[in-house]
Amino acid sequence: MSGRWTLLVAGLLLLLGVGWWVLSPEPGEVRQVRLLLGTTVEIVAVHPDGAQLNQAVAAAFDEIARIERLMDPARPNSDVARLSVAAKALVVSPETAEVIALGQALAERSSGAFDMSLGRLKALWGLDGEQPHLPAVAEITVALRGSGPGSLVMDGRTARKAAPALQHDLGGVAKGYAVDRAIALLRQHGVTSAAVNAGGDMYLLGQRQGRPWRIGIQHPRQPGTVLCAVDVSNRAVVTSGDYERFFEQNGQRYHHLFDPATGYPSGRCQSVTVIADTVAVADALATALFVLGPEKGLALLSAYPGAEALLVTADGALHRSVGWQEVVTKNGGSRKSS
Amino acid sequence: MMRPRQKRMTRGDLLLAILLLLVALAGLVRMASAPAGARVVVSDGERVLYTAALDEVKDVDLEGPLGVTRLRIDAQGARILASPCPLKVCMGMGPARRDGELLACLPNRILVEVVGPQAEEDYDLLSR
Repeated sequence: MSGRWTLLVAGLLLLLGVGWWVLSPEPGEVRQVRLLLGTTVEIVAVHPDGAQLNQAVAAAFDEIARIERLMDPARPNSDVARLSVAAKALVVSPETAEVIALGQALAERSSGAFDMSLGRLKALWGLDGEQPHLPAVAEITVALRGSGPGSLVMDGRTARKAAPALQHDLGGVAKGYAVDRAIALLRQHGVTSAAVNAGGDMYLLGQRQGRPWRIGIQHPRQPGTVLCAVDVSNRAVVTSGDYERFFEQNGQRYHHLFDPATGYPSGRCQSVTVIADTVAVADALATALFVLGPEKGLALLSAYPGAEALLVTADGALHRSVGWQEVVTKNGGSRKSS
Repeated sequence: MMRPRQKRMTRGDLLLAILLLLVALAGLVRMASAPAGARVVVSDGERVLYTAALDEVKDVDLEGPLGVTRLRIDAQGARILASPCPLKVCMGMGPARRDGELLACLPNRILVEVVGPQAEEDYDLLSR
C-alpha cells in the first residue's frame, strides 16, 4: 500500500474512533432494578471507577432496605408495627423520628390534608390488598375517629399516640425519605450523576451526559402518553395519581388517595406532580395538593421555596405553579410507556 | 539504492478519498440519530420495571420473586441470558427486536416488550 493510502486509511480509522468515543454510551453507567418498599426501585448511576460505582449502588440499595425494615408496617419488629400496637410512649429510631417530624410539619401546614394517621381507614378500604371494597359509612366514621395532625406527639425520639387504637402509616413520606437516603449514600461514594426512582418517587442527581435529566410526566387518563417533560438537576420529582391503585364500582372510581376530612378518595384531582428539594417533601406535598385541589394546594406550595407543581384537576384542566413553566421542556407528546 | 519516487495524488484518488470521508460521516450521523429507534420495556405484568433504547448495548439484572433475571440488549435485540426459573423457557425464546415482540418469564414475573419506534422526543425516566 502506498504512503498516501496508508495515510487515508489511518485518517478514516481515526475519524471513526473519535466518532465512536464521542457518541458511545456514557462510560461507567450502572442501571439496576430491585423490588423494595413495595414497588420497583431503579438506580441509574455514573462513575468512571466501575468498582466504586458498584459499591455505591449496592450501598444505596442497602440503605433503602434498611429504611424499609424500620418503617414497613408489615414487618413485626419495625418501628411502625411496634407503634401500631403501642399502648404507651414508644422510643423509635432517629430515622423514624425524622420522618414522623417531617410528616407532622406538613400535616399541620396543610391543615390535615396530609395525614399519617389514616392506617385504620386504609386497611378498611383494602386498596393495598387483593380485595378492595366500598366500606359502609358507619365503618368510615369509626376508622376516622381520633385521627388528625394531633393524634401523634413526638418528644425527641419518643412517640406517643393520642389513643392506643390509632394506626399510623408513614408511607406518604417514608418512601421518599428512603430515596433521599439512597442519594446521600451515592454522594458519599463520590457519585455525582444518578437517578433513584422508587415507583415514581425520584431524585435526579447532577446531569445525564452533560444535560439535565429529562423526566416525562404520565398523562392520568391516557396510558402510554406523557403530559409534558421537565428538565431537572439535583431535584426530586414525584407524581401522585388516582390511576395508580383503584377499583371501580357502579361506574365510580375509588382510588388510594383519601381525603382525611371525609374518609373517601379525594375527587378534586386526577394527578399532581411536585418538584422539590427532597423526595420526602415532594411525596408528602403531592398527596396534600391532591387532596386540597389547585387553589388551596398552590397556596400551600408557596410555603416551600423552590417547589413547583402541576395539578390535573378532576375535569382534566391543568393548573401550574408560577415557576413550573421554567422547568417544562416539552408539552404534549405520546411516548408509549407500558 | 534509490527510493521509488512517491506518486502525487491524482484527481481520482482525491474523489475517492472525499467519497470515503462522506460515507464515514454519514455513518456517524446515523449513529447519532439512532436513539429515536425502538425501546425495550420490562414490566412485571402491571408496572414498568425498566426501559431502555434497543440500541443501548448492555446487560441488566432484573429482580423478581424467584431471584435475578439477566436481560441482554445488543445488536441481536433483547434476550434473556439467565433466569432462576425452573424450566428456563424464557431463555429459549431467543431475541426480540421488532415492535410488539415479547419475552416472558412467568414464574419470575418478568415481561419484556419491544415497542416503537416512536416519533416523539425521548425522556430519561417517567414520573407516574
